[in-house]
Amino acid sequence: MADLERYSLPLAGESSIGSRTPLAEVAAGSTARPEGAYIHVPFCRHKCHYCDFYSFVDTQDRQEAFVARLEDELEHATDLGATVGSRLVTVFIGGGTPTLLRPPLLARMLAAVRRCLPLAPDADLEWTVEANPETVDAEIAAVLAAGGVNRVSLGAQSFDPQSLRALERDHRIESVAAALGHLREAGITNLNLDLIFGIPGSTLESWRGDLEAALALEPEHLSAYGLTYEPNTPLATKEARGEIEAVEEDLEASMYEDACNRLAAAGFERYEISNWARPGRACLHNLLYWRNRSWLAFGPSASGHLDGLRFKVVPRLGEWLDSKDPWPLSEWERLDEHGAFGEELMLGLRLTEGVDTAWLEDRLARCDAGGERRRALESALADGRLEQIGTRLRLTQRGTLLANTLLADLV
Amino acid sequence: MKIRNFSIIAHIDHGKSTLADRLLQATKAVSDREAREQLLDSMDLERERGITIKASAVTVNHEVDGERFQLNFIDTPGHVDFNYEVSRALSACEGAILVVDSTQGVQAQTVANAYLAIANDVELIPVVNKIDLPAADPDKVAMEIEQVLGLPAEDCIYVSAKTGRGIPELLEAICTRLPDPRPARTEHLRALIFDSIYDDYRGVIVYFRVFDGSIKTGDRIRMMGTGRTYPANELGRYTPRQQKVNQLGLAEVGYMVAGIKNLGDVRVGDTITLESNPAREPLPGYEEPRQMVFCDFYPSTGDGEGGRRADFESLREAVEKLHLNDASFTYQTQHSEALGFGFRCGFLGLLHMDIVQERLEREGGVEVVQTAPTVSYLVDLHEGATVEIHNPSELPDPSTILAIREPIVKLEIICPTDSIGDLMSLCDARRGIFRGQKFVSDGRQMLEYELPLAEIIYDFYDKLKSMTRGYGTMDYEIVEYRAADLAKVSILVNGNPVEALSLIAHRSNAELRSRAILARLKKQIDRHQFEIPLQAAIGTRVIARETIKAVRKNVTAKCYGGDVSRKRKLLEKQKEGKKRMKMVGSVNIPQEAFLAVLEQSE
Ligand SMILES: Nc1nc2c(ncn2[C@@H]2O[C@H](COP(=O)(O)OP(=O)(O)OP(=O)(O)O)[C@@H](O)[C@H]2O)c(=O)[nH]1
Ligand code: SF4
Ligand SMILES: [Mg+2]
Repeated sequence: MADLERYSLPLAGESSIGSRTPLAEVAAGSTARPEGAYIHVPFCRHKCHYCDFYSFVDTQDRQEAFVARLEDELEHATDLGATVGSRLVTVFIGGGTPTLLRPPLLARMLAAVRRCLPLAPDADLEWTVEANPETVDAEIAAVLAAGGVNRVSLGAQSFDPQSLRALERDHRIESVAAALGHLREAGITNLNLDLIFGIPGSTLESWRGDLEAALALEPEHLSAYGLTYEPNTPLATKEARGEIEAVEEDLEASMYEDACNRLAAAGFERYEISNWARPGRACLHNLLYWRNRSWLAFGPSASGHLDGLRFKVVPRLGEWLDSKDPWPLSEWERLDEHGAFGEELMLGLRLTEGVDTAWLEDRLARCDAGGERRRALESALADGRLEQIGTRLRLTQRGTLLANTLLADLV
Repeated sequence: MKIRNFSIIAHIDHGKSTLADRLLQATKAVSDREAREQLLDSMDLERERGITIKASAVTVNHEVDGERFQLNFIDTPGHVDFNYEVSRALSACEGAILVVDSTQGVQAQTVANAYLAIANDVELIPVVNKIDLPAADPDKVAMEIEQVLGLPAEDCIYVSAKTGRGIPELLEAICTRLPDPRPARTEHLRALIFDSIYDDYRGVIVYFRVFDGSIKTGDRIRMMGTGRTYPANELGRYTPRQQKVNQLGLAEVGYMVAGIKNLGDVRVGDTITLESNPAREPLPGYEEPRQMVFCDFYPSTGDGEGGRRADFESLREAVEKLHLNDASFTYQTQHSEALGFGFRCGFLGLLHMDIVQERLEREGGVEVVQTAPTVSYLVDLHEGATVEIHNPSELPDPSTILAIREPIVKLEIICPTDSIGDLMSLCDARRGIFRGQKFVSDGRQMLEYELPLAEIIYDFYDKLKSMTRGYGTMDYEIVEYRAADLAKVSILVNGNPVEALSLIAHRSNAELRSRAILARLKKQIDRHQFEIPLQAAIGTRVIARETIKAVRKNVTAKCYGGDVSRKRKLLEKQKEGKKRMKMVGSVNIPQEAFLAVLEQSE
């Protein structure tokens, strides 16, 4: 509550005070020092059937309007003083498909980021852009590199044509290698591939094939996500109708374990439940999320965090474009100490580094009146889902696969 | 003026209510302008489902060859669950019109209702209806009536209740072929109560037929069975409008409003006499219909303790209110460890159960969760007593039980000949005893079986319908309670018995049913961190088992572009869900699991 007064913020979901949005309030008075920025570009060439990110095929061609509006938003953040005293060490442009922007517009957007945000010197900055393999050619790669981007995350998902069809992904398998080639040639050498396992129809063999194919391309970073049937996606509808069958839970678990073993053997470290990197190549931006640090957010549906205040930019392009408010939010929320602690546990335990035990004890003493959290932690320690290594408490490999059984008791 | 009292009886949907409409119109009781379809079906549910649930009695006048007749007739429901309504109606009449659809022919309830009429010594006029339809084959149907029921084919009257064709001939037959009411046997008033309904404004309305003597407005009457007395404040008839009269005389049919507050205070089948000048003997009454099928209702929206209690109260109100209108279902408070507080209700049959459930939701505005139906059992104990139970959990200690008896029905099925084999296998699998087979017409046969009621309420009718491609019909009648090799099957989850899941089953198919139940249960219970054995047991003997494997993966893959709040909310939902589950030992069982198991289809 003290925090609330300090920022004189409305409670979650209440309307803003006067003409200033809560974010403006925060920006004006916050002691939070954001360390990163997330920017959301909502356009895609085609909507994949599993996807529930805010993205769509833009038939009205609003790319230019989008970039212009984003420039406003970025400039406004500077005006508000949201970034005073901070130095951003990460930028992450995600989507959607940012590389779908026409090269001049892409360049303009990158320039605006550089102009408006207080970025760390290039050597200390991780600047990532997400890309669909099919959209990356030599020209786009050159624009990215020239704009200051030094990391690209490619949605490969699978190297098995049948799996790609099951997901309704519309890229060609060869385009992944081609895209990596263009990027490396342009000088972008910190590269990630996203993979999905547990795709309907896939087998342990086909998954192993995916892993091998990904490793053969020598990325610096790999993400492997278990396929999730998000509500209201075509994939979930098809599953509910029985048109496709989700893979067995046991198989999915084996696929995950397989990934752990194979990637470890290939010299990758797993630093988060679904993320692996060669030493020193962990994604700094994602680490901001897991370590509960502050970051700014721009573009429709982007989520940010400023020292305990979580907020989300309005999630519809039209509304976002038309909004009088330069930085229009649809949701914001500040949890009390008890809730914030739960969130921090939920995030921190996803990391291989786990959480600090002294910090944990301190919080438990203040935010665990009924002893529920302590009991949940103790039982997870007892049954081998958690382990203590020195002063850190972390999930074991078994615990990783069962993370939600513990995290649901901790939030 | 001569009086003709008759009922209209038929298999469901063969056109009784429509025929009643035509009789009202042909006798000018309602004008052509007023006529609407199935005028006597007044309940919302009746009009919507197009079926008759309550019998209704009306009075109209007709003239044949200059002679005036008062016709009192009762439209009856066709469905087997409401057979008791048909019997009651018949006992107030000397005649009955047996309607048979000329495109469907004789069906199971045609036979059952005709037998009821014959047993009540009622004169039958067979009517072949719907002759306007292209598929009509009235001559063939008339032959079926002769073949199966022994009523001469040439006695059949062919009509269309839709176009009105044949209606004048039918009216004439009613007047000339049906007998006069029997003469009075005593001067004292004796009137038979054959129905009663509850009206929100006037209280109970009693329908009766005067057999002896007469009754006037203002008379103080006495119910001979209950001994209660009331003032006859209002007498009248339905024409079909309510028409007050001062007096109802010998053989007449009408209604009475007498300041009776509660349906339960009136016993259908009771005899009305005068307080001042009572008859010595009552008329022969009826057997009270017996509740044969039972299920539980629970309020379905009930998050948390507070919510559940509030919902239970609205359910209680709805149940009590509906009971004012339909005294033929029973209810008592029930507490289930899984589903909280609710009611255990008894019904005359499955359709009756459906209708009560629908009326609770519609008229009472409560959403209910309904458990699978069970039957009542009689348990004979060693020490000589017999107890009736409606619930496996009420079963006494097995060592004290001498025998468990279950209700047995006489089942009649009319079906296409080519489905006989399948149906016989079905009946055999359901512990049926073959009693006979009859020729109905080319391509159709009638089967007679004796079968435990418990086997019929368990997915029997649907199977019959699919085996006969929709053409088969059935009717049943309880004949007795019979001892059988029944046992309580307990369901154990991780070694702990869960009372709310137990069932009573015959030993010969206990294993099969248990396996089906465990398979459904397995789908409903989430995997836990340990393996969960599911077992079905009779006493200590395990008859079926399943295993829910330990969970291997339960993790959110991705953090949606830093949308931490969303991820937290998902976890919180998971946590909430867990709280709402029922803990048995260390296993969380969701409410849906209890319902899935209690669902009836295999
Ligand atoms: N074509 C045609 N249709 C008819 C005739 N008589 C009844 N029907 C139709 O048959 C259906 C059933 O008629 P009802 O009068 O409701 O039958 P019922 O016997 O009262 O039915 P329950 O009360 O449910 O047993 C309705 O759709 C009627 O319109 C007829 O003579 N010709
Ligand atoms: S490319 Fe990515 S953001 Fe676009 S629809 Fe496919 S999964 Fe969603
Ligand atoms: Mg009817």
